[in-house]
Amino acid sequence: MSEKLQDIINKQQDQINPGEENMDDIVQLVGFIIGEEEFSVPILSIQEIIKPIEWTRVPQTPEYVLGVFNLRGTVIPLIDLRLKFGLKSENMTDNTRFMVMKNATETAGFVIDRLTEAIRLKKHEIGPAPETAMQEKTMIEGVGKQNDKILTILKVDKLLERDF
Amino acid sequence: MDEFQEILQDFLIESFELIEQLDQDLVELESSPEDLDLLNRIFRVAHTVKGASSFLNFDVLTHLTHHMEDVLNKARHGELLLDANIMDVVLESIDLMKSLLHTIRDTSKDEGIEVETCVIRLTAIANGDSPADVAVPEAAAPVVDEAVVEEDDLDYANMSDDDVEAEIQRLLEERQASDKAKREAKIAAGEDVPQMPDADAPAEEAKAEEPASEEPSAATPPPPPPKAAPTPVAKEKVEKKAKEAPVATTVEQTIRVDVKRLDHLMNLIGELVLGKNRLIKINDDVEERYEGEEFLEELNQVVSIVSLVTTDLQIAVMKTRMLPIGKVFNKFPRMIRDLSRELGKKIELEISGEETELDKSIVEEIGDPLVHIIRNSCDHGVESIERRVEAGKPETGIIGLKAYNEGNHIVIQITDDGAGMDPDRLKMIAIDKGVISEKEADLMGDKEAFGLIFRPGFSTAAAVTNVSGRGVGMDVVKTNIEKLNGIIDIESELEKGTVMKLKIPLTLAIIQALLVGVQEEYYAIPLASVLETVRINKDEIYTVENRSVMRLRDEVLSLVHIADIFEVDRIFDSSEHAYVVVLGLAETKIGLIVDTLVGQEEIVIKSMGEYLHGMEGIAGATIRGDGGVTLIVDVAALMHMAKTVKSSASSEAGSSAGGAGTKTQPSDYKVMIIDDSKTDRKIMTTSLKSLGITLIEATDGVEALNILKSGEHYFDALLIDIEMPRMDGYTLASEIKKYNKYKNLPLIAVTSRTGKADRMRGVESGMVEYITKPYSPDYLQNVVKRNIKFSFSEESVS
Repeated sequence: MSEKLQDIINKQQDQINPGEENMDDIVQLVGFIIGEEEFSVPILSIQEIIKPIEWTRVPQTPEYVLGVFNLRGTVIPLIDLRLKFGLKSENMTDNTRFMVMKNATETAGFVIDRLTEAIRLKKHEIGPAPETAMQEKTMIEGVGKQNDKILTILKVDKLLERDF
Repeated sequence: MDEFQEILQDFLIESFELIEQLDQDLVELESSPEDLDLLNRIFRVAHTVKGASSFLNFDVLTHLTHHMEDVLNKARHGELLLDANIMDVVLESIDLMKSLLHTIRDTSKDEGIEVETCVIRLTAIANGDSPADVAVPEAAAPVVDEAVVEEDDLDYANMSDDDVEAEIQRLLEERQASDKAKREAKIAAGEDVPQMPDADAPAEEAKAEEPASEEPSAATPPPPPPKAAPTPVAKEKVEKKAKEAPVATTVEQTIRVDVKRLDHLMNLIGELVLGKNRLIKINDDVEERYEGEEFLEELNQVVSIVSLVTTDLQIAVMKTRMLPIGKVFNKFPRMIRDLSRELGKKIELEISGEETELDKSIVEEIGDPLVHIIRNSCDHGVESIERRVEAGKPETGIIGLKAYNEGNHIVIQITDDGAGMDPDRLKMIAIDKGVISEKEADLMGDKEAFGLIFRPGFSTAAAVTNVSGRGVGMDVVKTNIEKLNGIIDIESELEKGTVMKLKIPLTLAIIQALLVGVQEEYYAIPLASVLETVRINKDEIYTVENRSVMRLRDEVLSLVHIADIFEVDRIFDSSEHAYVVVLGLAETKIGLIVDTLVGQEEIVIKSMGEYLHGMEGIAGATIRGDGGVTLIVDVAALMHMAKTVKSSASSEAGSSAGGAGTKTQPSDYKVMIIDDSKTDRKIMTTSLKSLGITLIEATDGVEALNILKSGEHYFDALLIDIEMPRMDGYTLASEIKKYNKYKNLPLIAVTSRTGKADRMRGVESGMVEYITKPYSPDYLQNVVKRNIKFSFSEESVS
């Protein structure tokens, strides 16, 4: 009896342990499409994802800053990632979402074309940003390889940084 | 250890409170050294701090305050006259005491500050004037927390050293016991009673009874039963003290509340105000829709009660955050005194209006700027004694510090009767230091020249002194005042003096605003800056040297269009009238042209976050009743921007008549043809081709509306088919007419529907002409020509 119990305990341990070991190694990301390409950001940097709502234009800002919107009483800047990445602006569709991202100091909404999925990547599956990307200015945190797909992981801090 | 921390907290809070009043008292004392009340008050502070610190084992602090007390005690008994030199030492010791307290607050220790020199000087003063027995102060130390105000230290002088030691021990124990009991009682009562160690120390009782029975006396202000003091004399004094106590305790019926809680409360109220605005809007909508229904009255009542209570609540919470500005003013007498001695000038400070109340956050921010302004007035404003005498002024310079309310603002006025500022000299220095160019200097008026002192790097002092000359201070003033949305106004007259006015809004969070519209956008203008609004005809706008101006009664007001400031595309603007919001800030006035005036509303200022912080012309954002975000205009920045923004009001006047600028050739006219049938579009294009005008085609209402909204084209007329998929002609017409800017855009229906009802609907939806198919090309041409005010003959085209 006690052996059986021991067995069960051992099994449970096994189940818990590999999980624990891997928790540190796994990065959870949320993938989304802008233009033709798939990008992703760490899931913990996302506050929420909402359907498009009305916003107010703010003068004297670059084109990619669409304006500000009201997220339950908080005024939050809205940034069009298409324009930010140098693509042409397109009308919003049913798939368009506002992705509200935050870091320690700043919160902003980003317009994305559509969401794809939540992604779990092992750390070793993530490579560094390509050499060609300028080290200081790059918005790319790294490149994830998943099956046959290549996934660009964005630097949230960089996205939330004002560059005008 | 926790208990110790708690005592320490109480001690620190109390000490800082005492010190705040101390500076002012001391300076006052210098002018009236005989004032016994003042002396007693000061003595009491030193004594309280000493007592508590010895209990908490802060030896250095005790040592220092003990000697201070010594000197003050002498003065109190008339054995010592406090002259300026003695005051210097006393003030120095108080400064040391302050820094010690700060060190204690930060590190819980009173180490690292050298007090010995000061103590020696204090002792010298104490000994110099009277051959005092050293035993007196030595024994005074243990009289820790008793009511010693009127007590005579000499009572202890007769005791032997051992007796004194024993007495100390006993008193400390009592004190500890009473503190403990009090704390427990306090926790039991759940109250935050300001602790006054020498006023309520019912030690005996605490020892004798259970802590719970202490509750009433700890929780209620009445004086505690007099405690059995070591000597009969002292007991008598304590009783005397007990009689005084109620006066002291009833004056301050306060609860200490963490500011964070008040801030949170204020935020919640802000949300409530937004909710209220929204409720009012919904109420209006409902009223419109269900006119005459019975429940409306009830709804109305509820809404008005809610809005009334919200407003009251907001005011009440705002008041809890208000502090008298005296809190800031208090430190200046001391500062002036020190500065005048340092600079060898005679300066007197006259304070008035210190009871004027301000939001706490503003009180905190206003201190630094005032320090810099007053330092500046002392150093640069008030002249040296010799110069003053030469100029026939009294030796003593006067700096006035005055606060008063003006509408929704508080004005702090700093005046001096010094040398005043010379605008030309300021300009010269500014050019020398490379702050401005010579050309800029030429264009500057006197007021602008005075404003130079706020530029970073600008200083008129020849050398950097302790007091000023680094060119930093006034820059700080400007930054801080701007942060508070305040206005600085300087007036100065050579040899007469300078008046500086800081005008600061009472509160930062919730303001009254005027909402204005331009095209589809709305902006909120703080009502405090709005002087008036006027409705004018566009032809009242004149252009002088490429700037738009208008005549407002007998002044000329320069104008700027809000669309030019905020880069709003003016797609259509055909109304003959415009509204001008006259904005005033300091001495400048400007007229802001807007399309519509929406109304007055209470708005809650929200920050737009770091990302969009400091956008020129925008002070923040607010959330409206409909949940949308409206930007708040930064009037000061707007005025600044107006100088550089090029005026387009004149070209606009032209464009408003025709739609899009002057027409020099037929192709400048643009007409949109909206029809789902390709054939029909073809027929229309062919008919109008000979006119040479530009034609744009759209296949249905939705597309037409999108083309219109995109703002790429300025249309002079639209030809609209009625039967269309997605959006028919009637809907399109009424959609277009919703936009203010298309109000005068001619809409021409081209349809096979000939019924009278159809025509009526066409008129209702805003169509000006009704052409029935089939039609002759000439007829169509004529109708179009008439509507677009076509001014070219066909010959000139061909």
